[in-house]
Amino acid sequence: MMKVRVMLPEGEQIFRDYIHNLKVNPLYTRPDLNVDYFSQEFSPEVLIDETKHFNSRMDLAEYLQNCFNSTGVKREHILPINGMWTWLAYIWFDQLAPIKNSDTKERKLGEDARYICSSNYSDYYRHLIAGPYRIYSLHNPENLQIFLYDPVHNLSDYNEQFSSRQFLISHRNIVEAFQKLYFDPQARQPKQGSQSRKKPGYIRRFVKILQQFELTYDIYTMPADRILDLLPPEFDGWK
Amino acid sequence: MKRTLNYTGRMKIKRENVSINFIRQNNNVVAFTVDKLDLNDLTLPPDGRVYVEAYYRTDLKRYDFGTAGSIRYHSSCDLRDIASPENAKFRILVANPSDGKIVAYTDRISPEESAEKKTILPVQFSDLGNEIWQVKYEGEEDSPILIINNRIPNIQNIAKQDAQFFIYVYPGVIREILSHMIFVDVLDSTTDPSTGWHGDWLNFVERLGVEPPETLNKDDKDNFSEEDAIRWISDSVTAFCDIYSNKFHEFIKKLEEMP
Repeated sequence: MMKVRVMLPEGEQIFRDYIHNLKVNPLYTRPDLNVDYFSQEFSPEVLIDETKHFNSRMDLAEYLQNCFNSTGVKREHILPINGMWTWLAYIWFDQLAPIKNSDTKERKLGEDARYICSSNYSDYYRHLIAGPYRIYSLHNPENLQIFLYDPVHNLSDYNEQFSSRQFLISHRNIVEAFQKLYFDPQARQPKQGSQSRKKPGYIRRFVKILQQFELTYDIYTMPADRILDLLPPEFDGWK
Repeated sequence: MKRTLNYTGRMKIKRENVSINFIRQNNNVVAFTVDKLDLNDLTLPPDGRVYVEAYYRTDLKRYDFGTAGSIRYHSSCDLRDIASPENAKFRILVANPSDGKIVAYTDRISPEESAEKKTILPVQFSDLGNEIWQVKYEGEEDSPILIINNRIPNIQNIAKQDAQFFIYVYPGVIREILSHMIFVDVLDSTTDPSTGWHGDWLNFVERLGVEPPETLNKDDKDNFSEEDAIRWISDSVTAFCDIYSNKFHEFIKKLEEMP
Protein backbone atom coordinates (compact mmCIF):
# COMPACT_ATOMS: atom_id res chain seq x y z
CA MET A 1 0.00 0.00 0.00
CA MET A 2 1.12 3.56 -0.67
CA LYS A 3 0.17 6.95 0.69
CA VAL A 4 -1.54 9.11 -1.91
CA ARG A 5 0.63 12.01 -3.10
CA VAL A 6 0.05 15.20 -5.05
CA MET A 7 2.19 15.84 -8.11
CA LEU A 8 3.94 19.22 -8.06
CA PRO A 9 4.47 21.26 -11.25
CA GLU A 10 8.09 20.00 -11.45
CA GLY A 11 6.86 16.40 -11.32
CA GLU A 12 4.10 17.06 -13.81
CA GLN A 13 6.63 18.37 -16.33
CA ILE A 14 8.83 15.28 -15.94
CA PHE A 15 5.77 13.01 -16.25
CA ARG A 16 4.68 14.87 -19.38
CA ASP A 17 8.17 14.55 -20.87
CA TYR A 18 8.14 10.84 -20.03
CA ILE A 19 4.84 10.35 -21.91
CA HIS A 20 6.17 12.26 -24.94
CA ASN A 21 9.43 10.32 -24.90
CA LEU A 22 7.57 7.00 -24.78
CA LYS A 23 5.97 7.85 -28.11
CA VAL A 24 9.45 7.97 -29.66
CA ASN A 25 11.20 5.37 -27.52
CA PRO A 26 8.89 2.79 -25.89
CA LEU A 27 11.76 1.63 -23.68
CA TYR A 28 12.30 5.07 -22.16
CA THR A 29 13.00 4.71 -18.43
CA ARG A 30 10.21 5.68 -16.10
CA PRO A 31 11.29 8.48 -13.72
CA ASP A 32 10.88 8.19 -9.96
CA LEU A 33 8.50 11.00 -9.05
CA ASN A 34 7.72 9.79 -5.52
CA VAL A 35 10.25 12.16 -4.01
CA ASP A 36 9.45 15.45 -2.34
CA TYR A 37 10.86 17.62 -5.14
CA PHE A 38 8.31 16.18 -7.57
CA SER A 39 5.35 15.28 -5.35
CA GLN A 40 4.24 15.56 -1.75
CA GLU A 41 1.98 13.51 0.49
CA PHE A 42 -1.71 14.25 0.43
CA SER A 43 -3.24 15.21 3.74
CA PRO A 44 -5.13 13.55 5.41
CA GLU A 45 -3.40 10.27 4.77
CA VAL A 46 -5.14 8.06 2.20
CA LEU A 47 -3.73 4.65 1.29
CA ILE A 48 -4.02 2.99 -2.12
CA ASP A 49 -2.82 -0.31 -3.52
CA GLU A 50 -0.43 0.62 -6.29
CA THR A 51 -0.42 -2.97 -7.61
CA LYS A 52 -4.20 -3.29 -7.86
CA HIS A 53 -5.56 -4.32 -11.25
CA PHE A 54 -8.83 -2.79 -12.41
CA ASN A 55 -11.18 -4.71 -14.67
CA SER A 56 -13.12 -1.65 -15.72
CA ARG A 57 -13.51 2.09 -15.21
CA MET A 58 -16.34 1.23 -12.80
CA ASP A 59 -13.98 -0.97 -10.79
CA LEU A 60 -11.43 1.85 -10.58
CA ALA A 61 -14.00 4.48 -9.56
CA GLU A 62 -15.53 2.23 -6.91
CA TYR A 63 -12.11 1.45 -5.45
CA LEU A 64 -11.18 5.12 -5.20
CA GLN A 65 -14.55 6.05 -3.73
CA ASN A 66 -13.99 3.46 -0.97
CA CYS A 67 -10.44 4.67 -0.31
CA PHE A 68 -11.54 8.28 0.05
CA ASN A 69 -14.74 7.52 1.97
CA SER A 70 -12.86 5.42 4.52
CA THR A 71 -10.81 8.47 5.49
CA GLY A 72 -13.71 10.94 5.35
CA VAL A 73 -12.36 12.83 2.34
CA LYS A 74 -15.16 14.50 0.37
CA ARG A 75 -15.38 14.62 -3.43
CA GLU A 76 -15.80 18.40 -3.52
CA HIS A 77 -12.49 18.80 -1.73
CA ILE A 78 -10.45 16.44 -3.90
CA LEU A 79 -11.84 17.05 -7.37
CA PRO A 80 -10.06 20.41 -7.76
CA ILE A 81 -6.66 18.93 -6.76
CA ASN A 82 -5.31 18.23 -10.25
CA GLY A 83 -1.90 17.16 -8.95
CA MET A 84 -3.42 14.26 -7.02
CA TRP A 85 -5.20 12.87 -10.08
CA THR A 86 -2.04 13.27 -12.13
CA TRP A 87 -0.07 11.36 -9.48
CA LEU A 88 -2.64 8.52 -9.46
CA ALA A 89 -2.31 8.29 -13.25
CA TYR A 90 1.45 8.11 -12.83
CA ILE A 91 1.08 5.25 -10.32
CA TRP A 92 -1.33 3.20 -12.46
CA PHE A 93 0.18 4.32 -15.77
CA ASP A 94 0.81 0.75 -16.98
CA GLN A 95 -2.94 0.13 -16.94
CA LEU A 96 -3.82 3.49 -18.48
CA ALA A 97 -1.31 3.10 -21.31
CA PRO A 98 -1.01 -0.67 -21.75
CA ILE A 99 1.63 -2.25 -23.97
CA LYS A 100 0.06 -3.05 -27.33
CA ASN A 101 3.08 -4.70 -28.95
CA SER A 102 4.96 -7.14 -26.74
CA ASP A 103 7.98 -7.17 -29.07
CA THR A 104 8.58 -3.44 -29.36
CA LYS A 105 6.90 -2.57 -26.00
CA GLU A 106 4.99 0.12 -27.81
CA ARG A 107 2.12 1.45 -25.67
CA LYS A 108 -1.41 2.51 -26.39
CA LEU A 109 -0.99 6.22 -25.65
CA GLY A 110 -3.53 9.00 -25.95
CA GLU A 111 -3.40 12.74 -25.54
CA ASP A 112 -1.76 14.25 -22.43
CA ALA A 113 -5.12 15.17 -20.86
CA ARG A 114 -5.80 11.49 -20.23
CA TYR A 115 -2.89 11.33 -17.78
CA ILE A 116 -2.13 14.94 -16.77
CA CYS A 117 -5.22 16.28 -15.04
CA SER A 118 -6.16 19.67 -16.40
CA SER A 119 -8.59 22.41 -15.43
CA ASN A 120 -9.25 23.27 -19.05
CA TYR A 121 -12.89 23.36 -19.92
CA SER A 122 -12.29 21.48 -23.15
CA ASP A 123 -10.59 18.40 -21.74
CA TYR A 124 -10.87 18.15 -17.93
CA TYR A 125 -13.30 15.20 -18.23
CA ARG A 126 -10.85 13.17 -20.33
CA HIS A 127 -8.58 12.27 -17.41
CA LEU A 128 -8.67 8.50 -17.06
CA ILE A 129 -8.72 8.52 -13.24
CA ALA A 130 -10.55 11.73 -12.31
CA GLY A 131 -13.15 11.28 -15.07
CA PRO A 132 -14.64 7.98 -13.82
CA TYR A 133 -14.43 9.08 -10.17
CA ARG A 134 -16.11 12.41 -10.91
CA ILE A 135 -19.29 10.80 -12.28
CA TYR A 136 -19.25 7.71 -10.02
CA SER A 137 -19.23 9.91 -6.94
CA LEU A 138 -22.13 11.96 -8.28
CA HIS A 139 -24.70 9.55 -9.66
CA ASN A 140 -26.18 6.13 -8.91
CA PRO A 141 -23.52 3.66 -10.21
CA GLU A 142 -26.31 1.44 -11.58
CA ASN A 143 -27.01 4.13 -14.16
CA LEU A 144 -23.38 4.65 -15.11
CA GLN A 145 -22.53 1.32 -16.69
CA ILE A 146 -22.65 2.81 -20.18
CA PHE A 147 -19.89 5.23 -19.18
CA LEU A 148 -17.83 2.91 -17.00
CA TYR A 149 -18.17 -0.64 -18.39
CA ASP A 150 -15.01 -0.52 -20.47
CA PRO A 151 -11.29 -0.93 -19.62
CA VAL A 152 -9.54 1.84 -17.73
CA HIS A 153 -7.49 2.97 -20.73
CA ASN A 154 -10.60 3.57 -22.87
CA LEU A 155 -12.39 6.85 -23.40
CA SER A 156 -15.50 5.95 -25.36
CA ASP A 157 -17.68 8.19 -27.47
CA TYR A 158 -20.41 7.73 -24.83
CA ASN A 159 -18.16 9.58 -22.40
CA GLU A 160 -16.98 12.10 -24.94
CA GLN A 161 -20.51 13.07 -26.00
CA PHE A 162 -21.92 13.26 -22.49
CA SER A 163 -19.19 14.33 -20.14
CA SER A 164 -18.26 17.36 -22.21
CA ARG A 165 -21.77 18.76 -21.82
CA GLN A 166 -22.52 20.18 -18.40
CA PHE A 167 -26.27 20.11 -18.73
CA LEU A 168 -26.39 16.43 -19.69
CA ILE A 169 -23.86 14.94 -17.29
CA SER A 170 -25.13 16.90 -14.27
CA HIS A 171 -28.72 15.62 -14.55
CA ARG A 172 -29.09 12.16 -13.00
CA ASN A 173 -32.38 11.55 -14.81
CA ILE A 174 -30.84 12.27 -18.22
CA VAL A 175 -27.95 9.95 -17.37
CA GLU A 176 -30.46 7.25 -16.40
CA ALA A 177 -32.50 7.75 -19.57
CA PHE A 178 -29.35 7.56 -21.71
CA GLN A 179 -28.34 4.25 -20.15
CA LYS A 180 -31.86 2.82 -20.44
CA LEU A 181 -31.89 3.68 -24.11
CA TYR A 182 -28.46 2.52 -25.22
CA PHE A 183 -27.11 -0.02 -22.71
CA ASP A 184 -27.85 -3.74 -22.91
CA PRO A 185 -27.84 -5.01 -19.30
CA GLN A 186 -27.75 -8.68 -20.37
CA ALA A 187 -24.75 -8.25 -22.63
CA ARG A 188 -23.27 -5.74 -20.17
CA GLN A 189 -22.26 -3.45 -22.99
CA PRO A 190 -23.82 -0.71 -25.16
CA LYS A 191 -26.35 -1.78 -27.75
CA GLN A 192 -24.92 -2.57 -31.16
CA GLY A 193 -25.04 0.36 -33.56
CA SER A 194 -25.80 3.01 -30.95
CA GLN A 195 -22.76 5.00 -32.10
CA SER A 196 -23.51 4.58 -35.80
CA ARG A 197 -24.48 7.69 -37.72
CA LYS A 198 -26.47 5.47 -40.07
CA LYS A 199 -28.90 4.43 -37.32
CA PRO A 200 -31.87 6.69 -36.54
CA GLY A 201 -31.79 7.98 -33.00
CA TYR A 202 -28.11 7.16 -32.41
CA ILE A 203 -26.34 8.71 -29.42
CA ARG A 204 -25.41 12.02 -31.02
CA ARG A 205 -29.04 12.58 -31.98
CA PHE A 206 -29.97 12.03 -28.32
CA VAL A 207 -27.48 14.71 -27.32
CA LYS A 208 -28.90 17.11 -29.89
CA ILE A 209 -32.51 16.53 -28.91
CA LEU A 210 -31.76 16.91 -25.19
CA GLN A 211 -30.06 20.22 -25.90
CA GLN A 212 -33.36 21.37 -27.39
CA PHE A 213 -35.26 20.05 -24.36
CA GLU A 214 -32.93 22.05 -22.11
CA LEU A 215 -34.64 25.25 -23.19
CA THR A 216 -38.15 23.85 -23.46
CA TYR A 217 -38.83 21.58 -20.47
CA ASP A 218 -38.02 21.68 -16.79
CA ILE A 219 -36.02 18.47 -17.17
CA TYR A 220 -34.74 18.48 -13.58
CA THR A 221 -38.09 17.38 -12.15
CA MET A 222 -38.81 14.70 -14.77
CA PRO A 223 -38.33 10.97 -14.14
CA ALA A 224 -36.11 9.23 -16.73
CA ASP A 225 -39.12 7.43 -18.26
CA ARG A 226 -40.89 10.73 -18.89
CA ILE A 227 -37.80 11.99 -20.75
CA LEU A 228 -37.86 8.82 -22.88
CA ASP A 229 -41.56 9.39 -23.61
CA LEU A 230 -40.80 12.87 -24.93
CA LEU A 231 -38.28 11.61 -27.48
CA PRO A 232 -39.44 11.64 -31.11
CA PRO A 233 -40.23 8.36 -32.95
CA GLU A 234 -36.70 8.02 -34.38
CA PHE A 235 -35.68 6.71 -30.94
CA ASP A 236 -38.36 4.01 -30.73
CA GLY A 237 -36.01 1.30 -31.97
CA TRP A 238 -33.78 1.76 -28.93
CA LYS A 239 -36.51 1.62 -26.26
CA MET B 1 -22.09 28.93 -31.04
CA LYS B 2 -25.30 27.25 -29.97
CA ARG B 3 -28.08 28.75 -32.11
CA THR B 4 -31.53 28.49 -30.58
CA LEU B 5 -34.99 28.80 -32.02
CA ASN B 6 -37.66 29.83 -29.57
CA TYR B 7 -40.81 27.98 -30.65
CA THR B 8 -42.40 27.89 -27.22
CA GLY B 9 -42.62 31.63 -26.55
CA ARG B 10 -40.14 31.33 -23.71
CA MET B 11 -39.38 34.74 -22.21
CA LYS B 12 -35.94 36.02 -21.37
CA ILE B 13 -35.17 37.15 -17.85
CA LYS B 14 -33.01 40.24 -18.29
CA ARG B 15 -29.62 40.15 -16.63
CA GLU B 16 -30.02 43.62 -15.21
CA ASN B 17 -33.01 42.28 -13.27
CA VAL B 18 -30.88 39.70 -11.45
CA SER B 19 -28.24 40.16 -8.79
CA ILE B 20 -26.39 37.20 -7.28
CA ASN B 21 -23.53 37.46 -4.79
CA PHE B 22 -21.21 34.96 -3.18
CA ILE B 23 -20.83 34.59 0.58
CA ARG B 24 -17.30 33.78 1.73
CA GLN B 25 -15.82 32.33 4.90
CA ASN B 26 -12.04 32.56 5.32
CA ASN B 27 -11.92 33.71 1.70
CA ASN B 28 -13.63 30.52 0.49
CA VAL B 29 -16.99 30.61 -1.26
CA VAL B 30 -19.53 28.75 0.89
CA ALA B 31 -22.90 30.09 -0.27
CA PHE B 32 -24.65 32.68 -2.41
CA THR B 33 -27.55 35.07 -2.10
CA VAL B 34 -30.00 36.26 -4.70
CA ASP B 35 -30.31 39.93 -3.85
CA LYS B 36 -32.49 40.87 -6.79
CA LEU B 37 -34.82 38.85 -8.98
CA ASP B 38 -37.26 41.16 -10.71
CA LEU B 39 -39.76 39.40 -12.98
CA ASN B 40 -42.28 42.24 -13.11
CA ASP B 41 -41.58 43.10 -16.75
CA LEU B 42 -42.66 39.58 -17.82
CA THR B 43 -46.19 38.24 -18.12
CA LEU B 44 -45.87 35.03 -16.13
CA PRO B 45 -48.42 32.64 -14.60
CA PRO B 46 -48.54 33.50 -10.89
CA ASP B 47 -48.13 29.81 -10.02
CA GLY B 48 -45.05 29.42 -12.29
CA ARG B 49 -42.35 27.70 -10.23
CA VAL B 50 -39.18 29.77 -9.87
CA TYR B 51 -35.88 27.91 -9.56
CA VAL B 52 -32.30 29.05 -9.28
CA GLU B 53 -29.63 26.51 -10.23
CA ALA B 54 -25.94 26.72 -9.40
CA TYR B 55 -23.66 24.62 -11.55
CA TYR B 56 -20.08 23.97 -12.42
CA ARG B 57 -18.99 21.14 -14.68
CA THR B 58 -20.69 17.94 -13.46
CA ASP B 59 -22.11 19.54 -10.34
CA LEU B 60 -25.59 21.02 -10.22
CA LYS B 61 -27.70 22.18 -7.32
CA ARG B 62 -31.24 23.53 -7.49
CA TYR B 63 -32.94 25.96 -5.11
CA ASP B 64 -36.69 26.54 -4.94
CA PHE B 65 -37.56 30.25 -5.01
CA GLY B 66 -41.33 29.86 -4.75
CA THR B 67 -43.58 31.13 -7.49
CA ALA B 68 -43.61 33.99 -9.98
CA GLY B 69 -46.47 35.52 -7.97
CA SER B 70 -44.65 35.12 -4.67
CA ILE B 71 -40.88 34.83 -4.87
CA ARG B 72 -39.36 33.28 -1.77
CA TYR B 73 -35.89 34.64 -1.09
CA HIS B 74 -33.40 32.62 0.96
CA SER B 75 -31.08 34.28 3.43
CA SER B 76 -28.29 32.18 1.86
CA CYS B 77 -27.99 29.13 -0.39
CA ASP B 78 -25.33 26.62 0.59
CA LEU B 79 -22.68 25.76 -2.02
CA ARG B 80 -20.30 23.73 0.14
CA ASP B 81 -21.04 20.42 -1.56
CA ILE B 82 -20.16 21.73 -5.02
CA ALA B 83 -16.58 21.25 -6.22
CA SER B 84 -14.89 24.62 -6.94
CA PRO B 85 -17.95 26.72 -5.98
CA GLU B 86 -16.02 29.91 -6.76
CA ASN B 87 -16.46 28.98 -10.43
CA ALA B 88 -20.20 28.35 -10.19
CA LYS B 89 -22.56 29.93 -12.68
CA PHE B 90 -26.28 30.33 -12.28
CA ARG B 91 -29.38 29.54 -14.27
CA ILE B 92 -32.81 30.90 -13.41
CA LEU B 93 -36.00 29.49 -14.79
CA VAL B 94 -39.71 29.76 -14.35
CA ALA B 95 -41.61 26.55 -15.18
CA ASN B 96 -45.30 26.09 -15.78
CA PRO B 97 -46.45 23.51 -13.20
CA SER B 98 -49.19 22.13 -15.44
CA ASP B 99 -47.03 20.94 -18.35
CA GLY B 100 -43.44 21.33 -17.09
CA LYS B 101 -42.55 23.78 -19.85
CA ILE B 102 -40.13 26.62 -19.25
CA VAL B 103 -41.85 29.99 -19.59
CA ALA B 104 -38.92 32.26 -18.68
CA TYR B 105 -35.21 31.65 -18.56
CA THR B 106 -31.75 33.07 -18.22
CA ASP B 107 -28.44 31.28 -17.98
CA ARG B 108 -24.72 31.70 -17.36
CA ILE B 109 -25.20 34.38 -14.74
CA SER B 110 -21.98 35.18 -12.92
CA PRO B 111 -21.99 36.58 -9.39
CA GLU B 112 -21.38 40.29 -9.46
CA GLU B 113 -18.13 40.25 -7.55
CA SER B 114 -16.43 37.94 -10.03
CA ALA B 115 -17.26 39.96 -13.13
CA GLU B 116 -14.22 42.20 -12.72
CA LYS B 117 -11.80 39.32 -12.20
CA LYS B 118 -13.01 37.05 -14.94
CA THR B 119 -10.51 36.06 -17.62
CA ILE B 120 -12.04 36.58 -21.02
CA LEU B 121 -9.19 34.91 -22.85
CA PRO B 122 -7.77 31.76 -21.26
CA VAL B 123 -4.33 30.83 -22.57
CA GLN B 124 -3.09 27.30 -23.24
CA PHE B 125 0.30 26.13 -24.44
CA SER B 126 0.38 23.36 -27.06
CA ASP B 127 2.51 22.16 -29.94
CA LEU B 128 1.36 24.19 -32.96
CA GLY B 129 4.07 23.05 -35.35
CA ASN B 130 5.44 26.14 -37.04
CA GLU B 131 2.69 28.54 -36.01
CA ILE B 132 3.14 30.97 -33.13
CA TRP B 133 -0.49 31.19 -32.02
CA GLN B 134 -4.01 30.17 -32.85
CA VAL B 135 -7.39 31.02 -31.42
CA LYS B 136 -9.63 28.02 -30.86
CA TYR B 137 -13.30 28.40 -30.04
CA GLU B 138 -13.47 25.48 -27.66
CA GLY B 139 -14.13 27.13 -24.32
CA GLU B 140 -17.43 27.37 -22.52
CA GLU B 141 -20.18 28.24 -25.04
CA ASP B 142 -17.50 27.94 -27.75
CA SER B 143 -15.67 30.91 -26.27
CA PRO B 144 -12.16 31.73 -27.49
CA ILE B 145 -8.99 30.20 -26.07
CA LEU B 146 -5.59 31.51 -27.11
CA ILE B 147 -3.24 28.66 -27.92
CA ILE B 148 0.47 29.52 -27.94
CA ASN B 149 3.11 27.21 -29.33
CA ASN B 150 4.93 25.43 -26.51
CA ARG B 151 7.79 24.55 -28.84
CA ILE B 152 9.10 28.10 -28.32
CA PRO B 153 11.64 28.06 -25.46
CA ASN B 154 10.60 29.99 -22.33
CA ILE B 155 7.29 30.84 -24.01
CA GLN B 156 5.31 31.16 -20.79
CA ASN B 157 7.48 34.06 -19.66
CA ILE B 158 7.66 35.57 -23.13
CA ALA B 159 3.87 35.54 -23.45
CA LYS B 160 3.52 37.39 -20.15
CA GLN B 161 6.33 39.89 -20.32
CA ASP B 162 7.90 40.34 -23.73
CA ALA B 163 6.93 43.64 -25.38
CA GLN B 164 7.64 42.42 -28.88
CA PHE B 165 5.43 39.37 -28.41
CA PHE B 166 2.72 41.57 -26.90
CA ILE B 167 2.51 44.05 -29.76
CA TYR B 168 2.86 41.41 -32.47
CA VAL B 169 0.36 38.91 -31.08
CA TYR B 170 -2.38 40.44 -28.95
CA PRO B 171 -3.73 43.07 -31.39
CA GLY B 172 -4.06 40.30 -33.98
CA VAL B 173 -5.78 38.06 -31.47
CA ILE B 174 -8.31 40.76 -30.61
CA ARG B 175 -9.01 41.43 -34.29
CA GLU B 176 -9.50 37.70 -34.89
CA ILE B 177 -11.92 37.26 -31.98
CA LEU B 178 -14.05 40.32 -32.72
CA SER B 179 -14.25 39.32 -36.38
CA HIS B 180 -15.26 35.79 -35.43
CA MET B 181 -17.89 37.11 -33.04
CA ILE B 182 -19.56 39.18 -35.75
CA PHE B 183 -18.92 37.33 -39.00
CA VAL B 184 -18.81 33.65 -37.94
CA ASP B 185 -21.07 33.66 -34.87
CA VAL B 186 -24.10 35.89 -34.78
CA LEU B 187 -23.90 38.75 -32.30
CA ASP B 188 -27.64 39.06 -31.67
CA SER B 189 -27.51 42.13 -29.44
CA THR B 190 -24.91 44.68 -28.41
CA THR B 191 -26.65 45.36 -25.09
CA ASP B 192 -27.84 41.91 -23.97
CA PRO B 193 -26.30 39.19 -26.16
CA SER B 194 -27.55 35.65 -25.61
CA THR B 195 -24.02 34.24 -25.64
CA GLY B 196 -22.11 34.98 -22.45
CA TRP B 197 -18.65 35.46 -23.94
CA HIS B 198 -19.96 37.92 -26.54
CA GLY B 199 -21.13 40.08 -23.64
CA ASP B 200 -17.73 39.79 -21.94
CA TRP B 201 -15.92 40.95 -25.08
CA LEU B 202 -18.38 43.78 -25.71
CA ASN B 203 -17.72 44.97 -22.15
CA PHE B 204 -13.99 44.71 -22.76
CA VAL B 205 -14.23 46.89 -25.88
CA GLU B 206 -16.49 49.34 -24.09
CA ARG B 207 -13.85 49.70 -21.38
CA LEU B 208 -11.37 50.56 -24.15
CA GLY B 209 -13.66 53.53 -24.89
CA VAL B 210 -15.09 52.30 -28.19
CA GLU B 211 -18.86 52.41 -28.67
CA PRO B 212 -20.50 49.83 -30.96
CA PRO B 213 -22.54 50.91 -33.99
CA GLU B 214 -26.35 50.60 -33.97
CA THR B 215 -26.16 46.88 -34.64
CA LEU B 216 -23.45 44.26 -35.11
CA ASN B 217 -25.95 41.54 -35.99
CA LYS B 218 -25.14 40.43 -39.52
CA ASP B 219 -28.59 38.79 -39.78
CA ASP B 220 -30.27 42.16 -39.31
CA LYS B 221 -30.10 42.92 -43.04
CA ASP B 222 -31.84 46.30 -42.77
CA ASN B 223 -29.50 47.85 -40.23
CA PHE B 224 -26.22 45.93 -40.35
CA SER B 225 -23.33 47.69 -42.04
CA GLU B 226 -20.27 45.60 -42.78
CA GLU B 227 -18.25 48.79 -43.13
CA ASP B 228 -19.30 49.96 -39.65
CA ALA B 229 -18.53 46.56 -38.17
CA ILE B 230 -15.03 46.48 -39.66
CA ARG B 231 -14.42 50.04 -38.47
CA TRP B 232 -15.56 49.09 -34.94
CA ILE B 233 -13.11 46.17 -34.93
CA SER B 234 -10.25 48.36 -36.16
CA ASP B 235 -11.06 51.12 -33.68
CA SER B 236 -11.06 48.54 -30.88
CA VAL B 237 -7.64 47.23 -31.87
CA THR B 238 -6.28 50.76 -32.18
CA ALA B 239 -7.65 51.68 -28.74
CA PHE B 240 -6.05 48.57 -27.24
CA CYS B 241 -2.68 49.46 -28.79
CA ASP B 242 -2.98 53.05 -27.56
CA ILE B 243 -3.68 51.91 -24.00
CA TYR B 244 -0.61 49.67 -24.12
CA SER B 245 1.57 52.19 -25.98
CA ASN B 246 4.25 51.60 -23.33
CA LYS B 247 4.79 48.14 -24.87
CA PHE B 248 5.32 49.71 -28.28
CA HIS B 249 7.82 52.23 -26.88
CA GLU B 250 9.60 49.48 -24.96
CA PHE B 251 9.98 47.50 -28.18
CA ILE B 252 11.31 50.54 -30.09
CA LYS B 253 13.73 51.34 -27.28
CA LYS B 254 15.13 47.82 -27.39
CA LEU B 255 15.64 48.11 -31.13
CA GLU B 256 17.42 51.43 -30.74
CA GLU B 257 19.69 50.04 -28.06
CA MET B 258 20.77 47.11 -30.21
CA PRO B 259 24.38 47.44 -31.37
